[in-house]
Amino acid sequence: MKWIRKCPLFIILVSTGILFTIIGISGRQSVYAGQEYVPLKAPVLSVMFAAVNDGIYPWHILEQETVLASGNLSGEEPPQQPPAAKEEGTDSKEPGMEEGLPETDREASKEIGEEEGIESLSPEEPPEIGDVSGNDMKEGMDPVQEDPEQIPEGRLEPLRESTHEEYLNHISADIYGDAGVVRAAAYDFSQVDESYFDDALFIGDSRTVGLRDYTSLPEHADFYCETSLTIYKVLEEDFNGLGTIREAIEAKDYGKIYLMVGINELGRGTTEDYMEKYTEVVDTLRAWEPDAKLIIQGVMRVSGEKNSKDPIFNNSNINARNNAVATLADNKDIFYIDVNEVVCDEEGNLNEEYTFDQIHLLGVYNDLWKEFLLSHGV
Amino acid sequence: MVSFSSLEFIFRFLPVFLILYYIVPCKYREIAFLAGSLIFYAVGEPVFILALVAATLLNYLFATLSWKVGEGFELHEWQKRRRKQFMIRAVVMDVAILTVFKLLGAFVDHSLLPLGISYYIFKMISFQVDLYRKKMWEKPKLKNVALYFMMFPQAVSGPIMRYHEGEFELSKEWDAEQLEDGLKYFILGLGMKVLLADKLAILWNDLQMIGFQSISTPLAWLGAAGYSLRLYFDFWGYSLMASGILVMLGYNFIENFNHPYASKSISEFYRRWHITLGSWFRDYVYIPMGGSRCGRGRLFLNLAVVWLLTGIWHGNGVNYVIWGVVLGVLIIGEKFVYGKYLDKIPVLGSLYVLFLIPLTWVVFAITDLKQLGVYFGRLFPLIGGAGISVNQQDIIRYGQNYWIYFAAGIVLCIPGVFRFFEKHKKNPAAILLLAVVFWYSVYFLSSSAGNPFMYLNF
Repeated sequence: MKWIRKCPLFIILVSTGILFTIIGISGRQSVYAGQEYVPLKAPVLSVMFAAVNDGIYPWHILEQETVLASGNLSGEEPPQQPPAAKEEGTDSKEPGMEEGLPETDREASKEIGEEEGIESLSPEEPPEIGDVSGNDMKEGMDPVQEDPEQIPEGRLEPLRESTHEEYLNHISADIYGDAGVVRAAAYDFSQVDESYFDDALFIGDSRTVGLRDYTSLPEHADFYCETSLTIYKVLEEDFNGLGTIREAIEAKDYGKIYLMVGINELGRGTTEDYMEKYTEVVDTLRAWEPDAKLIIQGVMRVSGEKNSKDPIFNNSNINARNNAVATLADNKDIFYIDVNEVVCDEEGNLNEEYTFDQIHLLGVYNDLWKEFLLSHGV
Repeated sequence: MVSFSSLEFIFRFLPVFLILYYIVPCKYREIAFLAGSLIFYAVGEPVFILALVAATLLNYLFATLSWKVGEGFELHEWQKRRRKQFMIRAVVMDVAILTVFKLLGAFVDHSLLPLGISYYIFKMISFQVDLYRKKMWEKPKLKNVALYFMMFPQAVSGPIMRYHEGEFELSKEWDAEQLEDGLKYFILGLGMKVLLADKLAILWNDLQMIGFQSISTPLAWLGAAGYSLRLYFDFWGYSLMASGILVMLGYNFIENFNHPYASKSISEFYRRWHITLGSWFRDYVYIPMGGSRCGRGRLFLNLAVVWLLTGIWHGNGVNYVIWGVVLGVLIIGEKFVYGKYLDKIPVLGSLYVLFLIPLTWVVFAITDLKQLGVYFGRLFPLIGGAGISVNQQDIIRYGQNYWIYFAAGIVLCIPGVFRFFEKHKKNPAAILLLAVVFWYSVYFLSSSAGNPFMYLNF
């Protein structure tokens, strides 16, 4: 066994490799359940690393076990149920995630919701959307209202649930149809000039970074945007030292808050999961800054090439989720606008000429977006 | 799987292959290596593996015929003639195969260019010429010739090893120290690729995403420098991984890079960059044409041919031809006009290299000539104008995000740093550092599924 002394690096790698493999295997059923793992393509230890990237560290396996054990003893519902564990995203298992929103705020947002009559329609009353022209009605839905002028108020209910197949294949189900989009489009937007954005706050991912860096808007508006931002992170994010959104709102009275996130989380969870978090964020922002108009921007689509090749980052997924968040718009305090109207080609894909990487607008074409915003004042 | 910096290769193919390679008896190791290489290549290129196998057999056929003719202590004139004929026929066939596939790839469809063909055909040509030049003492065995052409560590992008460097006639004993040494080279290469090159690649991707017309001049220069470092660590990293695997298997280390950015002239740069390609052109094109031992006019022509071919070999696109021509012009200029001044003032030589090489890489990088013009316009705004929608502050943001990779890259460009490491590679600190580099690389590979752009967050 003299050779062992000749290859210390090899020995270190093999032993740490074994250790990481054990960690990976022991967490497979619990904290790593959400990590995709294909045995032929990668070692089981890769789930440990992938999880670290999502903020789940190996010692969480132990915490997980204690929590489950104590939960079972006391007869309480364990915080991480098997259905939650099957979720694609990792947030459900991220300790401390739920605590990101202070208790008081959550209550506050609930109050606001109640005060303003934002309540979901009860299941007994089918959503009155059958009459809205252009709505892609599902067969078997019985239009209750015959009057085309009638536009339903309040938040809309989904027409159906995502199926398990859709969830497994990362398909964002179009569970709302375009009722919300149609309702939001009925609002009479006005043309404004740039000073309109003096009290505006833009929140978004790398697309919004492009809007910030390649248009004149930051001369007027504040930008809290960061590459890879998701709806799940938006309330906790520190924006590269700029501070959190909460701090921004406390420091300044905003009249408009623009929000565009959603592309980074396409591979994660179902439309329902996304919608749930999105609703929570919208209500929270409304609670924090009740006087500001909240403008939800539909996620910008990707180019036709990307759309046809990518099983996750494609336009049918984007459209389905846009259709969902559009239903939050009430045309009084919350609005929905869709920049795709000006940056897409006839087939509804991001115009190939406007992009190099099939996802982002080239610097110069961010002006199209700016002009669109100027023509959609509320 | 054909990428060494993938989890699939590191944790699936390589360990299984190494175990099998080491447990089979010594005399079957070449066969095991050959089988592994065929599987590796077939995974990446299931159809065109036939082209590789056919070219291998045909080359072996020519080699056998040539060997038969060349037997005997003193060769007759007719024997020499026949040997030369066989060599020329084999080389013409190899060049024809490469040309046909390159043309198919360029004008019909990119997928028609077989994986690694530019490299294995060059090995085949080298093999035929070396055989003719009597560099082999024994008649090469089919299994060794096939292994030389197909060995998986070099199948995709070289290094273009020479047949005799494989020392195929020697048996490859298992040696723990060699395993350890090879592993070190492999990890160094992996770290360069994953922790440096792949990160810097995102910078270049970002510049394209923004559109060259909208980048500020400082960012354009940062981009050129970043691309230069990225290409270097990508290729040097790959070469270290390839040679590291060969060392693990009992072969010699093949040097492909020797700190090119420390060069004082472009000629020197290309004696130190992708060394096996440069020496291939030297031995099989430049010297047969007369090299530098001839008149000035002939030397001029030889250099021009070598650099034009180098440009064409690198890719389908006018930009590669321009790239080769520019390098040819610079090298001819050094030989005939200003080389002596560069020699006299080393600082001038360094500045000259560090200024011009990144510019030549920009030509190499941008296949669209119009875009190439736009980029140079941003590099030299006095000529190119102000650009469109330029954000003058962009350099701050990118400087903040990328300075660490530039710093690490520049440090690794200093020859002394690498030599210091090689000298102290048995030091526990160095070993620990390599272990950290390995797992840190695996961390990035695990969280990005091996493709730095796949989960490039938007």
